[in-house]
Amino acid sequence: MGDLFSNLGLGFGVVFQLVQWSPAFLGGASIPIPVNILLCLIGALVGTLVGVLPGIGTIATVAMLLPITFGLPPVGALIMLAGIYYGAQYGGSTTSILVNIPGEAGSVVTALDGFQMAKQGRAGPALAIAAIGSFFAGCVATVLIAVLGAPLTKLALAFGPAEYFSLMVLGLIFAVVLAKGSVLKAIAMIVFGLLLSMVGSDIETGASRMAFNIPELADGLGFATVAMGLFGFAEIIRNLDAGGETDRKLVQEKVSGLMPTVRDLKDSTPAILRGTALGSILGILPGGGAVIASFAAYTLEKKISKNPSRFGRGAIEGVAAPESANNAAAQTSFIPLLTLGIPPNAVMALMVGAMTIHGIVPGPQVMQKQPELVWGMIASMWVGNLMLLIINLPLVGIWVRLLRVPYRLMFPAIVVFCCIGIYSVNNAPTDVMLAGGFGLLGYWLIKHDFEPAPLLLGMVLGPLMEENLRRALLISRGDWSVFLTRPLSAVLMVLAAALLVLAILPSLRKKRDEVFVESEN
Amino acid sequence: MNATPGHSPVKSIMPRWVRGPQDFVGGIALMAIALFALWASSDLQGMRGFSFGAGTAPRMFAFLLLGLGAAVTVVGVLTEGAHLAKYHWRGPLFVTLAILTFAVTIRPMGMIFAAMTSFMIAACGTPETRWTETFIVGVCLTTFCSLLFPYALGLPLQLLPSFLIR
Repeated sequence: MGDLFSNLGLGFGVVFQLVQWSPAFLGGASIPIPVNILLCLIGALVGTLVGVLPGIGTIATVAMLLPITFGLPPVGALIMLAGIYYGAQYGGSTTSILVNIPGEAGSVVTALDGFQMAKQGRAGPALAIAAIGSFFAGCVATVLIAVLGAPLTKLALAFGPAEYFSLMVLGLIFAVVLAKGSVLKAIAMIVFGLLLSMVGSDIETGASRMAFNIPELADGLGFATVAMGLFGFAEIIRNLDAGGETDRKLVQEKVSGLMPTVRDLKDSTPAILRGTALGSILGILPGGGAVIASFAAYTLEKKISKNPSRFGRGAIEGVAAPESANNAAAQTSFIPLLTLGIPPNAVMALMVGAMTIHGIVPGPQVMQKQPELVWGMIASMWVGNLMLLIINLPLVGIWVRLLRVPYRLMFPAIVVFCCIGIYSVNNAPTDVMLAGGFGLLGYWLIKHDFEPAPLLLGMVLGPLMEENLRRALLISRGDWSVFLTRPLSAVLMVLAAALLVLAILPSLRKKRDEVFVESEN
Repeated sequence: MNATPGHSPVKSIMPRWVRGPQDFVGGIALMAIALFALWASSDLQGMRGFSFGAGTAPRMFAFLLLGLGAAVTVVGVLTEGAHLAKYHWRGPLFVTLAILTFAVTIRPMGMIFAAMTSFMIAACGTPETRWTETFIVGVCLTTFCSLLFPYALGLPLQLLPSFLIR
């Protein structure tokens, strides 16, 4: 327990760190500046700014904004990225409430009741409850990460290559089972991602694999490149298909009266509590994350409500529960990343990419070697949530105005911004072309109903999986049964197999589809 | 990659026994990608005793993808599914063209030229574009980017064409 407080103390110390700034025009005098708080604030603001743009989800936002953190020191960069992530999520819920265009899958369910509330002129309370619920969930999740972080790191030290491999298999299977759409196609996408991750140099022999003597490919496909292509460019192209402006039903009434009534608060409190609990649990599971958490929370609220017919007609619980769950899960999904070094979903995969660019390899070692980085980031999550609460409520008016910027002006700007971003990663024009190619690939995938998110996850886990598989087999002298004879690994493998079987069983499939279909009606 | 958007699908080209053309074509494309990867990694060393060679993992994943692609294709034949979605040419063409232009011009011409040009090309991607307005926004964006990336963020980007600097 003492550990917990000293760790959190360390974290907040990092976040509130003051840097003496002595600009020339002050003539030698220096002003203390809370740099990390400022970075978090900027991140949250910029994240919301981009996240609010309709059709741009969390992954795309983080991918697009990655380059602006390159110039910063690692701690600052990660704190800013965390800010961007929360900002993007909150931005997504703002669009779904005000315009009924969820920027990302996680806020699809928020749109159901949130937009109805907005139509009844209650957009203010809906946004406020979303922010309050998110903040509460964020507080709980921060504590949870701090409590679980250290013990899980110890567990991680007991992990050998075989266990790591099995855990990643389990994570990928989770990602498949919890994803929307066909299980088969999701698995195919993961394997496609694994295959793409093989491009580049072999870790052990250094042999060039599938690189066709292109020097830029010798190092493998850049993660930011693929993410920006698949999520940034592909989204733009797809939105152009839809004709951009035609289906934008903006709430024209002024957003007035932000404060929820006492009755609203009373109605939504239990929903926030349940959403937080559900979200925290689902976030920790590998492959889980914000999307499934919000769906599950909404379904739960509807199931236990005394009057389920209110849902879909502007029930405040229908906003409070998924938004809290969404945020709790977004945060607790950092746990597997920080302790085990395994990204549980595509956004976390992006975070790994960002960390690698800064020379940090996430995993149990980071917790011990760079505690200020890990705890600083954890503390910054809480601060980031607070920022969202403080900055976003007064700024709702600005976000609404931003939504009125026509898409015909917005999309070329996003294209240029992405191009500069990709180019600045390695100063390589080839990366920009590759991203363009992946944009077309992403468009094709969308047209054929393949989800690009599992592909991204597979791509990040690919090298890790290969390395651990090779090591495990080397240690066991080529005996494949090692994955089943080591007890911890066997448990993970059995879990993975059971999950896969369950997902394919027709009865459960039907239930799973129901959850998703519900949101579409 | 093997993705070839742009060809507009005609429903009648699909034989009648294909019930889900979307999955059918998707699965075949995945199989093609897997075969391509198998060919591309064919020169790599395989297993040496019980230790993996450079080519083992890529081939393993490629075979898996081949199998999964085949399964998706079979699903496309056997079950009723979605038709091929309609492809549009305008958006993909101009966005891709803008990206390529940026990639080609950024080194010799500098960021100001590259950003402005690709902005204007990308704007062709929709018929709704109004040129005066687009031009003004393009100038503003280019100015903003020229200040943000090299100065505020300190990234080593060259602003002007290289023949002006030398």
